[in-house]
Formats: sequence, C-alpha cells, structure tokens
Amino acid sequence: MAKTLLQGFILILCFFGLFFALQQVDFVTLFKVKKISDTTEKKLGEMIWQTIENTETVVENDSVNELIDKIVLRITDKNNIDRDKISVHVVQSDEINAFAMPGDHLVIYTGLIASCDDESELAGVICHEMAHIQQNHVMKKLVKEIGLSALIAITTGGNSPQLVKKLAKELSSAAYDRELETEADRTGVDYMIKAQLDPEKLADFLYKLASAEYLPEQFYWVSTHPESKERAKAIVKYIKDEEIVKKTVLSKTEWNYLKTAF
Amino acid sequence: MTATAFSYVPGEHEAEKASNSYLMSMVAVVAGLPLPIVNVIASVIFYLSNRNGTYFVRWHATQSMFSQLGLGIFNSVSFWWTVSIVFGDENVSNNYFAYLFTVVIFNLIEFVSTIYAAIETRKGKHVDFWFFGGLTHLICKP
Repeated sequence: MAKTLLQGFILILCFFGLFFALQQVDFVTLFKVKKISDTTEKKLGEMIWQTIENTETVVENDSVNELIDKIVLRITDKNNIDRDKISVHVVQSDEINAFAMPGDHLVIYTGLIASCDDESELAGVICHEMAHIQQNHVMKKLVKEIGLSALIAITTGGNSPQLVKKLAKELSSAAYDRELETEADRTGVDYMIKAQLDPEKLADFLYKLASAEYLPEQFYWVSTHPESKERAKAIVKYIKDEEIVKKTVLSKTEWNYLKTAF
Repeated sequence: MTATAFSYVPGEHEAEKASNSYLMSMVAVVAGLPLPIVNVIASVIFYLSNRNGTYFVRWHATQSMFSQLGLGIFNSVSFWWTVSIVFGDENVSNNYFAYLFTVVIFNLIEFVSTIYAAIETRKGKHVDFWFFGGLTHLICKP
C-alpha cells in the first residue's frame, strides 16, 4: 500500500516537474504565436477597412478629422496609449454608431457626432470603443464568432469578400458579450477620468438614446449595446465617489463646427 | 513497468483476452482522437464485460482501465483548455503549451507501455505498470 502511494506520489511529481520544466520555455515566441496573431489582426483590419472604404463615404474634411484627433489625442496622451497605433476614421452616415475593428481601427459615424450634445458624450463613446481595442475584445469576438482558423484562412489567401463584408457587418451591428461591454464601460470611464473628461456625459448619452427619440434604424450604438439604461446607472454608480476634474478639449466654436459640419 | 511472474501460468485464451484489454484501449485512442474520453470508455466497457473472467484477464483489464482513467483526467484538462482557446476567451500561453507537451509526453509513455503490455501478456507474461500495477494488486484479488 505504502509503496503504491509512493509510486503515485512520484508519478504526480514527475508530471508537475515536467510541466514546470516546460513552463520555462517561451513557446509563444518559439512558435511565433504572437507574430501570427498580430499579422492576422493587422491584415484583417486592413481588409475590413478596405470594404468599408469601398462601400461608405469616408469624411476627408481635414478640419473635422483634426478636431476628432484633438479629442483622441487627449485620451491617448493621458492614458499612455500609443496614438500612432490607432487609426481613426470618420464615415458619413446617419447611423448613430461607432465601432472598433481589428488592427486598432476606430470608425466613427457622422450621425453619432451630430447626435452628441457635448464633446464628452462623443469622447465617452470613443473611450468605450478604445477600451475594446486596448483589451483585445475585437479579436476575441471574431474568434468566438467564426474561429481563429477561419480568420487566418481569410488573411492568408482565401479570397472571400463576402466573408469580409460579413465581418464588417458583425463588427458594426452586433454587440459584444455583456461581460466585455461592462469591462469596456468601466475602462472607458477610467480613460475619461484620466483625460479630465466628464464620464457622467457618457451615462447621459446612453439615457438619451435609450429614450426612443431616434428612429430605430438610427441608433445603432444603443441597439448594439443593449440595456443602455442599466449601463448608464452602472456608470453613475461607478463614478459616484470619484473626484472628477473636467477640462474641455474643444472650444465652443470648434464643437459647434464639428457638430454641424455634415 | 516490470514483467514479473504471475501466481499461475495463464492459458492461451486468457493471454489473448488480457492482451486485448490493452489493444482495445490503444485502438480506441487512435479512433477517438482528439476526444480523450473514448479510450477511457473502451477500457471501462472491457473491464465491465470481463470482471467475472479469470484472474489473469480481470487483473489486466483492471490495470488497463486504471491507467486509462489516470491519463484521462489529464487529457480532459488539455482537451477543455484547447476548446476554451478555440471557442472561448482563453489565449494561447506558455502554460498551455507546457501542459500540452507534458500530456503528450505522458501519453506517448502510456502508448508505448500499452503496446509492450499487449505483446507481453499475449505471450502469457505478466506486466506490472508503475503505480497502476500496485493499485490493481490492492483491488483485484484472486
């Protein structure tokens, strides 16, 4: 009996000993896992963006892009995010929508800008989407939806424009898991606080869009982000004890120009 | 793993059946890949259908089942870990590869041991696996 127990103990010890020894090897680098996934993500982002570029009207107005960039720069600077890593695109559309894409692309629809009453509302949505980017939610979502092998196949020769279109649609009009949305909300609010933007405005924006004053086909950002009122309440609760310093990014003239530029 | 003398010399039919208990789990491993449960089920079924057999057959069916069950637990962890990477939120990590390779190495040892045991028992020789042999001796009595 004692001999058998000892043998069992040694066997388990051997298993975990081998496991521990193998843990010392950097397999992820050895198998270039990160490189493959990074390349896949970058390529996928480029392909999806190309599809959007071909089907939608991209805003080329430099003044608009500069003003959006000012807001994005404030967020990235104050949160130690590499600004150059993120590509921000403004697309002409009545849809009140913004979404993140693989390869750190962020798409903002002009309908969203026009529906915001304050720069912090817009900044709130940008922060939320930026949180999805920073926490790798975009690839997690796509891997879950169609699988990593399919994503790699698309980017490594599989000429499948229909599938890329489907991915673009999926990203722009389907919500993430509730858990990921909550995480993005919280991180987004943290970004706003650090960037001295008013996070309460994000809650206001959610309330506003949830109270059906827009046409259903317009408020994509809310319909793709369900339970908006609950999320707004959660944000208000989250920032209750926070000391918030507010500092505007754009002047009143700049904001008014941005809102009415389309 | 050691080849030792059994309490009696098994007959030809017994040796064949005992050898089959190892062969069956081995074939099931190949047929059931990547599902780690098929070989476990196969060895359990073989054990259940031979639990009233002669001591030599019973003993080897039990040892085969224990060794498959033991490895089955570790295989299941690697299987579900892989599933959560492919379909869930889990990321590929060094820990995952380390675990996977540990399990693969143990499976290879098990595979070779099973082939050896199948050959030896077919010759009527008795084979004691490390730990699982001792465990079988504790449970399986003449």
